[in-house]
Amino acid sequence: MDYVEQRMAQEAAKPAVAADSSSSLLTPLNLLILGLFLYTAYSFFKPQPPAALPKEEPAVVFTTFTPRTLLPYNGENNAPVYLAVRGRVFDVTRGRNFYGPGGPYANFAGRDASRGLACGSFDEDMLTKDLDGPLDTLSDLGRDELEALQGWEDRFSEKYLVVGKLVPVGEEDK
Amino acid sequence: MGALDNVLLTVDQAISDLFGQWNVYTTAIVGLFVGLVAYQISTRRDPDTHPLLLARQAQASPVRHEGESAVYRSQAAPHGMPLNAGLNVKDPGASKWSRGRDGDLRDIWRQAIAGVQDDGPSKGATGRILTVLGTEHVTEHALADITRQINLIGQHVANQGGNRVAIYLPNSVELLVTLFACAFYNMTAIILPFDQPDDAVLSMLRRSAADTVVTAPGSFPFDAVVKNYPSLRQLVWVVDEGSSHMDWNEVPQGTGGSVNVSTWQDIVTDYPVDAGHDLPAQEGQKDPRDVTIFWQAAPGTTEEMVRFTAGNLVSAVAAQIFAIPTAQRMGPSDLFLPADSLANTHTLALTLAALYSNASVAFNSVAVGANDLAVATRGIAPTILVTTPAALLKTHQETANHLSSVIARNLHWLQTRDLTQNGVMPVASLLTRYYDRLRPGIKPGKLRLIFTAERVGAASPPLSSAVLSDLRVYTGARIIYALTAAKVAGAAAQTGFYDYRVFDDNHSHFGAPLTNTEILLRDTPEHKTTDSLSKGEITVRGPSVAGNEAALGVVGVIRDDNTLAYL
Repeated sequence: MDYVEQRMAQEAAKPAVAADSSSSLLTPLNLLILGLFLYTAYSFFKPQPPAALPKEEPAVVFTTFTPRTLLPYNGENNAPVYLAVRGRVFDVTRGRNFYGPGGPYANFAGRDASRGLACGSFDEDMLTKDLDGPLDTLSDLGRDELEALQGWEDRFSEKYLVVGKLVPVGEEDK
Repeated sequence: MGALDNVLLTVDQAISDLFGQWNVYTTAIVGLFVGLVAYQISTRRDPDTHPLLLARQAQASPVRHEGESAVYRSQAAPHGMPLNAGLNVKDPGASKWSRGRDGDLRDIWRQAIAGVQDDGPSKGATGRILTVLGTEHVTEHALADITRQINLIGQHVANQGGNRVAIYLPNSVELLVTLFACAFYNMTAIILPFDQPDDAVLSMLRRSAADTVVTAPGSFPFDAVVKNYPSLRQLVWVVDEGSSHMDWNEVPQGTGGSVNVSTWQDIVTDYPVDAGHDLPAQEGQKDPRDVTIFWQAAPGTTEEMVRFTAGNLVSAVAAQIFAIPTAQRMGPSDLFLPADSLANTHTLALTLAALYSNASVAFNSVAVGANDLAVATRGIAPTILVTTPAALLKTHQETANHLSSVIARNLHWLQTRDLTQNGVMPVASLLTRYYDRLRPGIKPGKLRLIFTAERVGAASPPLSSAVLSDLRVYTGARIIYALTAAKVAGAAAQTGFYDYRVFDDNHSHFGAPLTNTEILLRDTPEHKTTDSLSKGEITVRGPSVAGNEAALGVVGVIRDDNTLAYL
């Protein structure tokens, strides 16, 4: 209580000294509050640029592949994984676990997978060996196999992007 | 006393010293401060749309072809889905969930007279059709009366062997009636831009192979046409009341012997009163015919003739209806005024959209040439207006000149801030009352939406996004700025309903494609699309494009927010 009384006495003695500041605009207190006011006003009225989103991924260019140019897209060294079904090249990179290196379907990566998918076989001998020869026409396949292939193609079309077409070597410009 | 007590004492003294300086100025500043915060809190409103929706307005296809950009589509029309092809007309009795027909012009008029079909307070309400004559006089046309005119004119022209009907009229009910008459009575409508030089009219008639003309006396070069265009078989004069006593059927001696001349009024009055009240039955109706439109490029160039199928037109109408958010769609409480020529498919599609939405539609034949909002809206207070960029620019200049005082300029700044920073339309308040006086000669508080369009190759003056924003403040209406082209019915792309952003540009962007168009940019020798920037000749595809795909012949660029702009 001593302290309070002491402070009261101090304050009581003051007014005579502080009288001249009661009519001045430029007191520290006024400057402080004015600064606060101006800052708030500035932050309210500061023009803000319109909202922006990060730029989109650029679109993939639709490319014409030959069996040979498709080959590098087998997912090794972080390359994208492409595979071809009946002349359409799908980007299956999102399914890397299946189609990429070490996956169950790894043989198809960078290759024409039509025959393998139709026959339900992932073996090496399902692939067209001669990369410079004509594409597999699949003409010897039965109805069930073509149906299975159609099913795969529909699934691919739903899930993956068509990023190009596959043509035999020598027909790139057609 | 410990050290802590000393510190506390000093702090205590410092604080009491500081607040001991409180004086009348302090009170004033604090008052202002509180006022500012209160103003901010009380005027705070949620933006009309989420700002990020404006940050990416179109979706790009993930794959593009060599030599062109990705394909851009409206967010409402995802890739892989069909574009918006029609009005989804459901015949009476059809299941609510069934897919409707695309429809054609006939369905638009049937909907206009049937009234609102959706359940709700306005169920059954129909729009009104008005004609503004002079500055004061507004006449209303009963819908039943217009239906009767459609039937009688259609029957008359068809009976006289009309097949390809050229319409050379200013914006008027008769233009619309003839268009619908052609749709219902299986004729091809040809809409000619009004007020053209004689040889241009003649050339357009020749190129379109018209056999019938519906026109108004005084503007149509009858003698020259009869002399030089022998294929003309039939002519219908639309005579105003003042001169209907004259004998318009009389053909001057030696000219036009083979032309069958009649007047609109005679055709309508000669039939019995109870004739022609029912539209032809919908069952067994023939496939809709095309509508031919002439696109006026820059003055002095030949008009480009474009044939739109009925499908092109309804797709354009449907997309315009969809382009407006559901809560703001046109309805029976709206009054729609086309102050741009109905020979433009953009204006026509919007007018048909208004009819289909059961909005009231007003026609003012002088509105088009005047290029002035004040003149166009004289005698009527539309809520939705279609006008030319030239008229808007003129209004902008005139109003800006009035806004020279400091108060007005600050109010303008405050309202522009509402638009660009807060993303909301400025509301009327005590402050803005002062401002209302300065608004262009449009009845305040009524107008809510303005459509305007850049016409490719027609030398329409560019509108910058700053001018559009100013105009939103001046008129209190939202503005939709579209990109239109000869081969595209309606618009190819248009700015979003809630997009009020201002950029540093001379020519505003055109927003995103509509739900019935997709846009891609083809490489030109100078401008090629790269992975970082899409640019090239604007190419539009979709159900509203004549021939399904059209290159517009202008170079465009897709901006970072996926809106289309001229390069």
